[in-house]
Amino acid sequence: MNGLGAIIIYAAAVVLAAVALSRRDTSFRMGVRRALEQSFIVLPRMIFALIAAGFIVKLIPTEIIVGNLGTDAGFKAILIGSLAGLIVPSGPVIAFAVAASFALEGASVPALVSFLTGWSVFAAHRVLIFEIPLLGAHFVRLRMLSVIPLPIIAGTLALIVSGA
Amino acid sequence: MTGDQRAGPVDWPELIKTSFGPSFWIFVALAVLMAGVCYAVLGPETFAAAIDRDRDLLADLLPRVAAAQVVAGFVWVLLPRERMSRFLNRHRGRRGLFIAATAGAVTPGGPASAFPFLAILAGTGADRGILVAYITSWALLGVQRIIVWDIPLMGIDFSLLRFLVGAPLPIIAGMLARRLPFSVTLETDPPIGVEDK
Repeated sequence: MNGLGAIIIYAAAVVLAAVALSRRDTSFRMGVRRALEQSFIVLPRMIFALIAAGFIVKLIPTEIIVGNLGTDAGFKAILIGSLAGLIVPSGPVIAFAVAASFALEGASVPALVSFLTGWSVFAAHRVLIFEIPLLGAHFVRLRMLSVIPLPIIAGTLALIVSGA
Repeated sequence: MTGDQRAGPVDWPELIKTSFGPSFWIFVALAVLMAGVCYAVLGPETFAAAIDRDRDLLADLLPRVAAAQVVAGFVWVLLPRERMSRFLNRHRGRRGLFIAATAGAVTPGGPASAFPFLAILAGTGADRGILVAYITSWALLGVQRIIVWDIPLMGIDFSLLRFLVGAPLPIIAGMLARRLPFSVTLETDPPIGVEDK
Protein backbone atom coordinates (compact mmCIF):
# COMPACT_ATOMS: atom_id res chain seq x y z
CA MET A 1 0.00 0.00 0.00
CA ASN A 2 2.70 2.43 0.97
CA GLY A 3 5.67 0.60 -0.54
CA LEU A 4 7.11 3.55 -2.43
CA GLY A 5 6.89 5.86 0.56
CA ALA A 6 8.62 3.27 2.76
CA ILE A 7 11.44 2.77 0.23
CA ILE A 8 11.97 6.53 0.01
CA ILE A 9 12.15 6.89 3.79
CA TYR A 10 14.62 4.03 4.22
CA ALA A 11 16.76 5.24 1.31
CA ALA A 12 16.75 8.79 2.71
CA ALA A 13 17.88 7.49 6.11
CA VAL A 14 20.84 5.64 4.54
CA VAL A 15 21.84 8.55 2.28
CA LEU A 16 21.64 11.12 5.07
CA ALA A 17 23.65 8.88 7.43
CA ALA A 18 26.32 8.56 4.72
CA VAL A 19 26.40 12.33 4.20
CA ALA A 20 26.72 12.89 7.96
CA LEU A 21 29.57 10.32 8.17
CA SER A 22 31.38 11.92 5.26
CA ARG A 23 31.61 15.20 7.14
CA ARG A 24 34.06 13.60 9.58
CA ASP A 25 32.86 15.73 12.48
CA THR A 26 30.21 15.17 15.14
CA SER A 27 27.34 15.30 12.63
CA PHE A 28 26.81 11.54 12.53
CA ARG A 29 26.87 11.11 16.29
CA MET A 30 24.57 14.12 16.78
CA GLY A 31 22.14 12.77 14.20
CA VAL A 32 22.02 9.31 15.77
CA ARG A 33 21.52 10.85 19.15
CA ARG A 34 18.75 13.14 18.02
CA ALA A 35 16.99 10.22 16.29
CA LEU A 36 17.35 8.09 19.41
CA GLU A 37 15.94 10.75 21.71
CA GLN A 38 13.02 11.59 19.41
CA SER A 39 12.21 7.91 18.92
CA PHE A 40 12.14 7.38 22.66
CA ILE A 41 9.64 10.22 23.01
CA VAL A 42 7.45 9.49 19.97
CA LEU A 43 7.35 5.70 19.62
CA PRO A 44 5.85 4.70 23.02
CA ARG A 45 3.01 7.21 22.51
CA MET A 46 2.46 6.12 18.96
CA ILE A 47 2.18 2.44 19.89
CA PHE A 48 -0.75 3.13 22.20
CA ALA A 49 -2.29 5.70 19.85
CA LEU A 50 -2.32 3.08 17.10
CA ILE A 51 -3.91 0.52 19.39
CA ALA A 52 -6.62 3.03 20.35
CA ALA A 53 -7.22 3.95 16.70
CA GLY A 54 -7.70 0.28 15.79
CA PHE A 55 -10.53 -0.03 18.31
CA ILE A 56 -12.08 3.34 17.37
CA VAL A 57 -12.37 2.28 13.72
CA LYS A 58 -14.34 -0.78 14.79
CA LEU A 59 -16.75 1.42 16.75
CA ILE A 60 -17.65 3.77 13.86
CA PRO A 61 -21.05 2.95 12.35
CA THR A 62 -20.16 3.39 8.67
CA GLU A 63 -23.49 1.91 7.49
CA ILE A 64 -25.43 4.71 9.19
CA ILE A 65 -23.34 7.39 7.46
CA VAL A 66 -23.94 5.76 4.07
CA GLY A 67 -27.65 5.42 4.78
CA ASN A 68 -28.10 9.07 5.68
CA LEU A 69 -26.39 10.81 2.78
CA GLY A 70 -29.18 9.99 0.35
CA THR A 71 -29.21 11.43 -3.13
CA ASP A 72 -29.80 15.10 -2.36
CA ALA A 73 -28.04 17.41 -4.74
CA GLY A 74 -27.18 21.01 -3.99
CA PHE A 75 -25.92 22.71 -0.90
CA LYS A 76 -27.51 20.40 1.65
CA ALA A 77 -25.60 17.44 0.23
CA ILE A 78 -22.40 19.48 0.49
CA LEU A 79 -23.07 20.11 4.17
CA ILE A 80 -23.92 16.47 4.87
CA GLY A 81 -20.89 15.32 2.88
CA SER A 82 -18.60 17.69 4.80
CA LEU A 83 -19.92 16.54 8.17
CA ALA A 84 -19.62 12.88 7.20
CA GLY A 85 -16.01 13.51 6.17
CA LEU A 86 -15.22 14.91 9.60
CA ILE A 87 -16.35 11.82 11.44
CA VAL A 88 -14.50 9.17 9.47
CA PRO A 89 -11.40 8.70 11.58
CA SER A 90 -9.59 6.14 9.48
CA GLY A 91 -7.03 5.73 6.78
CA PRO A 92 -7.66 5.95 3.03
CA VAL A 93 -8.79 2.32 2.79
CA ILE A 94 -12.06 2.93 4.63
CA ALA A 95 -12.52 6.57 3.59
CA PHE A 96 -12.30 5.80 -0.11
CA ALA A 97 -14.37 2.63 0.27
CA VAL A 98 -17.09 4.77 1.90
CA ALA A 99 -16.77 7.43 -0.85
CA ALA A 100 -17.13 4.78 -3.54
CA SER A 101 -20.26 3.38 -1.87
CA PHE A 102 -21.67 6.93 -1.58
CA ALA A 103 -21.09 7.30 -5.32
CA LEU A 104 -22.85 3.98 -6.01
CA GLU A 105 -25.87 5.16 -4.04
CA GLY A 106 -26.06 8.23 -6.24
CA ALA A 107 -24.47 10.90 -4.07
CA SER A 108 -23.76 14.11 -5.98
CA VAL A 109 -20.22 14.93 -7.12
CA PRO A 110 -20.01 18.08 -4.95
CA ALA A 111 -21.07 16.01 -1.92
CA LEU A 112 -18.33 13.51 -2.64
CA VAL A 113 -15.75 16.28 -3.05
CA SER A 114 -16.86 17.75 0.29
CA PHE A 115 -16.71 14.36 1.93
CA LEU A 116 -13.17 13.57 0.76
CA THR A 117 -11.99 17.11 1.52
CA GLY A 118 -13.43 16.97 5.03
CA TRP A 119 -11.87 13.60 5.65
CA SER A 120 -8.49 14.70 4.23
CA VAL A 121 -8.08 17.80 6.35
CA PHE A 122 -9.60 16.55 9.62
CA ALA A 123 -8.66 12.84 9.70
CA ALA A 124 -8.93 12.38 13.44
CA HIS A 125 -6.72 9.26 13.47
CA ARG A 126 -3.81 11.24 12.01
CA VAL A 127 -4.29 13.97 14.58
CA LEU A 128 -4.20 11.40 17.35
CA ILE A 129 -1.30 9.33 16.06
CA PHE A 130 0.98 11.95 14.54
CA GLU A 131 -0.03 15.54 15.01
CA ILE A 132 -0.52 15.75 18.78
CA PRO A 133 2.62 13.72 19.63
CA LEU A 134 4.81 15.59 17.11
CA LEU A 135 3.45 19.15 17.09
CA GLY A 136 1.29 19.54 20.16
CA ALA A 137 -2.32 20.45 20.89
CA HIS A 138 -1.84 24.19 20.29
CA PHE A 139 -0.91 23.63 16.68
CA VAL A 140 -3.77 21.18 16.19
CA ARG A 141 -6.28 23.75 17.45
CA LEU A 142 -4.93 26.43 15.12
CA ARG A 143 -4.91 24.10 12.12
CA MET A 144 -8.41 22.73 12.80
CA LEU A 145 -9.86 26.25 12.91
CA SER A 146 -7.99 27.17 9.73
CA VAL A 147 -9.38 24.27 7.70
CA ILE A 148 -13.01 24.34 8.92
CA PRO A 149 -14.38 26.15 5.83
CA LEU A 150 -12.45 24.09 3.29
CA PRO A 151 -14.91 21.20 2.69
CA ILE A 152 -17.74 23.66 2.06
CA ILE A 153 -15.59 25.79 -0.27
CA ALA A 154 -14.45 22.68 -2.16
CA GLY A 155 -18.02 21.40 -2.53
CA THR A 156 -19.31 24.77 -3.67
CA LEU A 157 -16.51 25.14 -6.23
CA ALA A 158 -17.25 21.61 -7.46
CA LEU A 159 -20.93 22.54 -7.76
CA ILE A 160 -20.00 25.52 -9.94
CA VAL A 161 -17.40 23.68 -12.05
CA SER A 162 -19.45 20.54 -12.63
CA GLY A 163 -22.50 22.65 -13.37
CA ALA A 164 -24.72 20.22 -11.49
CA MET B 1 28.59 6.01 22.28
CA THR B 2 31.35 7.28 24.52
CA GLY B 3 33.77 10.18 24.68
CA ASP B 4 33.27 13.30 22.60
CA GLN B 5 31.80 15.98 24.82
CA ARG B 6 30.46 18.04 21.94
CA ALA B 7 28.11 15.24 20.97
CA GLY B 8 27.50 14.71 24.69
CA PRO B 9 26.22 11.57 26.38
CA VAL B 10 22.48 10.92 26.38
CA ASP B 11 20.82 11.89 29.66
CA TRP B 12 18.90 8.63 30.06
CA PRO B 13 16.96 9.33 33.28
CA GLU B 14 15.74 12.65 31.88
CA LEU B 15 14.90 11.09 28.52
CA ILE B 16 12.90 8.26 30.07
CA LYS B 17 11.09 10.72 32.32
CA THR B 18 10.01 12.73 29.26
CA SER B 19 9.25 9.62 27.23
CA PHE B 20 6.85 8.23 29.83
CA GLY B 21 5.39 11.58 30.89
CA PRO B 22 1.72 12.50 31.31
CA SER B 23 0.84 12.54 27.60
CA PHE B 24 2.15 8.98 27.22
CA TRP B 25 -0.28 7.83 29.94
CA ILE B 26 -3.14 9.65 28.23
CA PHE B 27 -2.57 7.49 25.16
CA VAL B 28 -2.36 4.36 27.29
CA ALA B 29 -5.62 5.28 29.04
CA LEU B 30 -7.33 5.99 25.71
CA ALA B 31 -6.22 2.61 24.30
CA VAL B 32 -7.45 0.77 27.39
CA LEU B 33 -10.75 2.68 27.39
CA MET B 34 -11.38 2.02 23.69
CA ALA B 35 -10.45 -1.64 24.11
CA GLY B 36 -12.97 -1.91 26.96
CA VAL B 37 -15.73 -0.17 25.00
CA CYS B 38 -15.01 -2.29 21.93
CA TYR B 39 -15.17 -5.50 23.95
CA ALA B 40 -18.32 -4.49 25.82
CA VAL B 41 -20.23 -3.14 22.79
CA LEU B 42 -19.09 -5.37 19.96
CA GLY B 43 -18.17 -8.59 21.74
CA PRO B 44 -15.05 -10.77 21.85
CA GLU B 45 -14.94 -11.63 18.12
CA THR B 46 -14.77 -8.05 16.88
CA PHE B 47 -12.40 -7.33 19.76
CA ALA B 48 -10.07 -10.07 18.52
CA ALA B 49 -10.32 -8.74 14.95
CA ALA B 50 -9.39 -5.26 16.21
CA ILE B 51 -6.37 -6.71 18.02
CA ASP B 52 -5.27 -8.38 14.78
CA ARG B 53 -5.69 -5.10 12.93
CA ASP B 54 -3.72 -3.25 15.59
CA ARG B 55 -0.89 -5.76 15.31
CA ASP B 56 -0.78 -5.34 11.51
CA LEU B 57 -0.85 -1.56 11.82
CA LEU B 58 1.98 -1.57 14.35
CA ALA B 59 4.12 -3.98 12.32
CA ASP B 60 3.48 -1.89 9.21
CA LEU B 61 3.96 1.56 10.68
CA LEU B 62 6.53 1.39 13.46
CA PRO B 63 9.57 0.55 11.29
CA ARG B 64 8.69 3.41 8.97
CA VAL B 65 8.12 5.84 11.81
CA ALA B 66 11.45 4.82 13.34
CA ALA B 67 13.18 5.30 9.97
CA ALA B 68 11.46 8.68 9.64
CA GLN B 69 12.93 9.63 13.02
CA VAL B 70 16.39 8.72 11.72
CA VAL B 71 15.78 10.89 8.66
CA ALA B 72 14.49 13.70 10.85
CA GLY B 73 17.50 13.37 13.16
CA PHE B 74 20.04 13.67 10.36
CA VAL B 75 18.13 16.41 8.55
CA TRP B 76 18.02 18.30 11.83
CA VAL B 77 21.81 18.05 12.15
CA LEU B 78 22.72 18.58 8.49
CA LEU B 79 20.23 21.25 7.50
CA PRO B 80 21.48 24.83 7.67
CA ARG B 81 18.49 25.73 9.82
CA GLU B 82 19.39 29.37 10.23
CA ARG B 83 19.74 29.84 6.50
CA MET B 84 16.49 27.99 5.86
CA SER B 85 14.48 29.95 8.39
CA ARG B 86 15.95 33.15 6.92
CA PHE B 87 14.82 31.92 3.49
CA LEU B 88 11.33 31.22 4.80
CA ASN B 89 11.25 34.49 6.68
CA ARG B 90 12.02 36.31 3.44
CA HIS B 91 9.00 34.60 1.90
CA ARG B 92 6.48 35.50 4.50
CA GLY B 93 3.91 36.65 1.97
CA ARG B 94 1.62 34.68 -0.24
CA ARG B 95 4.64 33.38 -2.16
CA GLY B 96 5.76 31.48 0.95
CA LEU B 97 2.33 29.87 1.18
CA PHE B 98 2.57 28.86 -2.47
CA ILE B 99 6.02 27.29 -1.95
CA ALA B 100 4.75 25.42 1.12
CA ALA B 101 1.66 24.16 -0.73
CA THR B 102 3.80 22.89 -3.61
CA ALA B 103 6.13 21.11 -1.21
CA GLY B 104 3.15 19.49 0.51
CA ALA B 105 1.68 18.16 -2.73
CA VAL B 106 4.91 16.46 -3.80
CA THR B 107 5.90 15.05 -0.39
CA PRO B 108 5.85 11.29 -0.90
CA GLY B 109 4.75 8.77 1.68
CA GLY B 110 2.03 8.74 4.28
CA PRO B 111 1.69 10.68 7.53
CA ALA B 112 4.75 8.88 8.90
CA SER B 113 6.90 11.03 6.63
CA ALA B 114 4.81 14.21 6.27
CA PHE B 115 4.34 14.94 9.99
CA PRO B 116 8.00 14.51 10.98
CA PHE B 117 8.86 16.88 8.12
CA LEU B 118 6.23 19.33 9.40
CA ALA B 119 7.89 19.17 12.82
CA ILE B 120 11.27 19.88 11.21
CA LEU B 121 9.75 22.80 9.32
CA ALA B 122 8.33 24.17 12.56
CA GLY B 123 11.78 23.82 14.13
CA THR B 124 13.29 26.01 11.42
CA GLY B 125 11.05 28.88 12.46
CA ALA B 126 8.56 28.72 9.59
CA ASP B 127 5.45 30.75 10.40
CA ARG B 128 2.08 29.17 11.16
CA GLY B 129 0.66 30.00 7.73
CA ILE B 130 3.47 28.05 6.06
CA LEU B 131 2.96 25.08 8.39
CA VAL B 132 -0.80 24.92 7.88
CA ALA B 133 -0.49 25.41 4.10
CA TYR B 134 2.09 22.62 3.89
CA ILE B 135 0.19 19.95 5.81
CA THR B 136 -3.19 20.90 4.29
CA SER B 137 -1.71 20.59 0.83
CA TRP B 138 -0.16 17.23 1.66
CA ALA B 139 -3.52 15.96 2.96
CA LEU B 140 -5.61 17.34 0.09
CA LEU B 141 -3.40 17.33 -2.97
CA GLY B 142 -0.75 14.71 -2.18
CA VAL B 143 0.12 13.36 -5.60
CA GLN B 144 0.98 9.91 -4.29
CA ARG B 145 -2.40 9.50 -2.62
CA ILE B 146 -4.24 10.68 -5.72
CA ILE B 147 -2.43 8.06 -7.80
CA VAL B 148 -2.92 5.25 -5.27
CA TRP B 149 -6.48 6.00 -4.08
CA ASP B 150 -8.41 8.71 -5.95
CA ILE B 151 -7.89 7.51 -9.49
CA PRO B 152 -8.48 3.76 -8.96
CA LEU B 153 -11.55 4.20 -6.74
CA MET B 154 -13.19 7.41 -7.98
CA GLY B 155 -12.09 7.63 -11.60
CA ILE B 156 -9.85 10.09 -13.40
CA ASP B 157 -12.54 12.73 -14.10
CA PHE B 158 -13.55 12.96 -10.46
CA SER B 159 -9.90 13.00 -9.36
CA LEU B 160 -9.09 15.89 -11.70
CA LEU B 161 -12.12 17.84 -10.51
CA ARG B 162 -11.20 17.26 -6.87
CA PHE B 163 -7.59 18.33 -7.50
CA LEU B 164 -8.75 21.43 -9.37
CA VAL B 165 -11.16 22.67 -6.69
CA GLY B 166 -8.69 21.65 -3.96
CA ALA B 167 -5.74 23.56 -5.41
CA PRO B 168 -6.51 26.98 -3.84
CA LEU B 169 -7.53 25.56 -0.45
CA PRO B 170 -4.09 25.19 1.23
CA ILE B 171 -3.40 28.87 0.49
CA ILE B 172 -6.77 29.84 2.00
CA ALA B 173 -6.05 27.72 5.09
CA GLY B 174 -2.59 29.27 5.44
CA MET B 175 -4.01 32.80 5.20
CA LEU B 176 -6.65 31.95 7.81
CA ALA B 177 -3.99 30.48 10.10
CA ARG B 178 -2.04 33.74 9.95
CA ARG B 179 -5.13 35.70 10.97
CA LEU B 180 -6.38 33.58 13.86
CA PRO B 181 -5.68 35.27 17.18
CA PHE B 182 -3.96 32.40 18.99
CA SER B 183 -0.60 31.96 20.53
CA VAL B 184 0.91 28.70 19.38
CA THR B 185 3.50 26.89 21.46
CA LEU B 186 5.05 24.21 19.30
CA GLU B 187 6.44 21.02 20.75
CA THR B 188 9.47 21.20 18.52
CA ASP B 189 12.09 22.69 20.78
CA PRO B 190 15.35 20.78 20.72
CA PRO B 191 14.84 17.72 22.93
CA ILE B 192 16.43 17.67 26.33
CA GLY B 193 20.17 17.90 26.37
CA VAL B 194 20.82 18.16 22.65
CA GLU B 195 21.99 21.74 22.73
CA ASP B 196 24.32 21.37 25.68
CA LYS B 197 27.86 22.37 24.94
